[in-house]
Amino acid sequence: MERGAREEILGRLRKAPRTTVEPRPEMPPLRELSLDREEMVAIFTEKLTAEEGAVYRVGNGGAAVARLTEIAAEEKLERVMVSADEVVAPLDLPRWGEERGITVFTPGDFSDRDSFRDAVFDDVQAGITGADYAVAESGTLAIAHDARQPRLVSLAPVMHIALVPVERMVAVYEQAVEKIYGDGGDIPSQVTFITGPSMTADIQGRPFKGMHGPRRLVVILIG
Amino acid sequence: MEIRTTIFNEVAEREIRNPYARLFLKAMPAVIAKRRTVVMGSFPDPVAAQACGQSIRAEVVARLPDLLEQFERNALERGAKILWARDAREACEMVLALAKERDVSYVTKGKSMVTEEMGLNDALADSGIEPFETDLGEFIAQQLRRPPFHIVGPAINVPVEEVRDLFMEKIGMEKPTTDPVELGYAARLFLRDKFHHAALGVTGVNMAVAETGTIINLENEGNIRFNKASPRTQISIMSIEKVVPTMADAMHLIRLLSRNCTGQAISAYVSMDSGPKGAGEIDGPEELFIIIVDNGRSRIYADPVAREALRCIRCGGCLNLCPVYTKIGGYPYGWAYSGPMGQVLTPLLLGLDRTQDLYRACTLCGACREVCPAGVDHPSIFLYYRSKDVEGDRGLRGKRRPWWESRLFGLWGRAAAHSALWNLGVRVARPLVNRYSRGGVISRMGGFFQGWFRSRNLPVMAEETFHERWRRLRDEISAGGPKGEA
Repeated sequence: MERGAREEILGRLRKAPRTTVEPRPEMPPLRELSLDREEMVAIFTEKLTAEEGAVYRVGNGGAAVARLTEIAAEEKLERVMVSADEVVAPLDLPRWGEERGITVFTPGDFSDRDSFRDAVFDDVQAGITGADYAVAESGTLAIAHDARQPRLVSLAPVMHIALVPVERMVAVYEQAVEKIYGDGGDIPSQVTFITGPSMTADIQGRPFKGMHGPRRLVVILIG
Repeated sequence: MEIRTTIFNEVAEREIRNPYARLFLKAMPAVIAKRRTVVMGSFPDPVAAQACGQSIRAEVVARLPDLLEQFERNALERGAKILWARDAREACEMVLALAKERDVSYVTKGKSMVTEEMGLNDALADSGIEPFETDLGEFIAQQLRRPPFHIVGPAINVPVEEVRDLFMEKIGMEKPTTDPVELGYAARLFLRDKFHHAALGVTGVNMAVAETGTIINLENEGNIRFNKASPRTQISIMSIEKVVPTMADAMHLIRLLSRNCTGQAISAYVSMDSGPKGAGEIDGPEELFIIIVDNGRSRIYADPVAREALRCIRCGGCLNLCPVYTKIGGYPYGWAYSGPMGQVLTPLLLGLDRTQDLYRACTLCGACREVCPAGVDHPSIFLYYRSKDVEGDRGLRGKRRPWWESRLFGLWGRAAAHSALWNLGVRVARPLVNRYSRGGVISRMGGFFQGWFRSRNLPVMAEETFHERWRRLRDEISAGGPKGEA
């Protein structure tokens, strides 16, 4: 049945009179493209803060862990889920948790979807992930999902803490996309852009954060 | 969704007196429009940026079959399954079959205009599968069984008291409250449980990238991300025109869509799927179905003027500036799409005969065209629909006027083209018309012409036409110089 529908639809489209494609008009390059890294960090911070994300800058991985410790104390975090991506894995957060009495789960602790879902939906208080890129133009995180970076860690817990090395700062979306999708060979099953916590204004136009996803977003820039 | 496009005037007259609707129509569209202008200013040349978006969408329409095939090829290569649906019924049946095969008792849904067009929620409910809209506004609109009031805030006009009663009754909210935030959190709690155990998630598609076979969704709440992360099966439904050529094009359109939709630089979340989850991933769909829905569009495509309506990216920017929409809100448009966007799309999808008032409820001011990031020329399309309707165009299902009306206008046309006939007509009509003059203005005539005067006045016809006056003055001049008019 579908086969027939496909041929019918495409057939009709092909039969219609052809029109020519005009070349794209010139567009001046985006301002962000002329920023150096420090300027990008400044714009990223300004834009994400405006969306009620909190941005911290630390010198290195050790300082990032120290910052995490402070956040965990402030937020009274006892149970967290940590991705296994290449930014957070080297920090060995399970051991960090052990030392501080925080239960740290990683996706590898779960054998199936259901137990993993139970943990991210109902058990943990925060999800900690790395991010593949930080995009200055709008204060946006770009995260490519794979086995080490599950989709729900940055979504289901009420707080999302993202760690990003500053070398991963880019000016505009196109640069992040170019790096992630590259020559079109091996591309991730899902890529997510995150700009602030989950939000809505659907009842009487009154905006608030944490509609379905995290109520809080904290970004720690490393380097 | 019930189609109520034939009672546009009745609903508009009711809504224009609805104080809650007026409250939001006065504030919200203007705020979004203003924010849009500010954030468009982040482009070095906003006009050029808009022109670039328009050029992308023009290319999509021109190359539609090629891009669809390219998208299909690449999405298949990523492991997605592609289904083509001729119409709404076929698309609904596909979803039902997939849901039944997987024995699901409910589905969670992201906001999707094409599923509203299909009437998917009713089709699911009729088969005993409960659909849950998960966008807060859409969730409320669904429970109240109302069409969207605004594409961005489908239930933004609903009074908090009504939401409170609804949530107490339908979702077991325990403590009565009229605080929008607490109401939102009650919905969060209820829907979170649905996401947690979801087996099948349904979403729409904002863009389908031909170059990579990737589908893209924009949202603020995170409900679409849940629908694409938690369940084992994902069905994403797109109409044929959602395709775009490249990822770079998609990025530019994301900027324009967000700016025009809500006045944001980018929506809180953008998620881009290339096939189902990969090996070793613990969440994300094991199977990703993409249903490509035609529902009459490929027929429209044969018409070189009407096909330009397919440029629309559903940002809703046109609603916020429309002098008609901002008075009456979304309900009079009677279906999934409201405002100028709906006036352009709905007549094509339902036929010119069932949507008579939609393409006529327009002053042709062109504010919609002015902001459109996709380059839709709404006023020209409305004029085209009007003429096709009068002619009784079969493809677009025009209604055609009675024989005597076309005869009347034929005579009118002939008379207007011959000066002697025209002048004779003027002399005959003048005393007949001017009888109705009240202080130099005619505002009613009664009988056959009364309808015309419902929202218009006519100045009285001058006692002399220019030609008559010229003849008189010329005679006076040749008889010894002008004597002046007084």
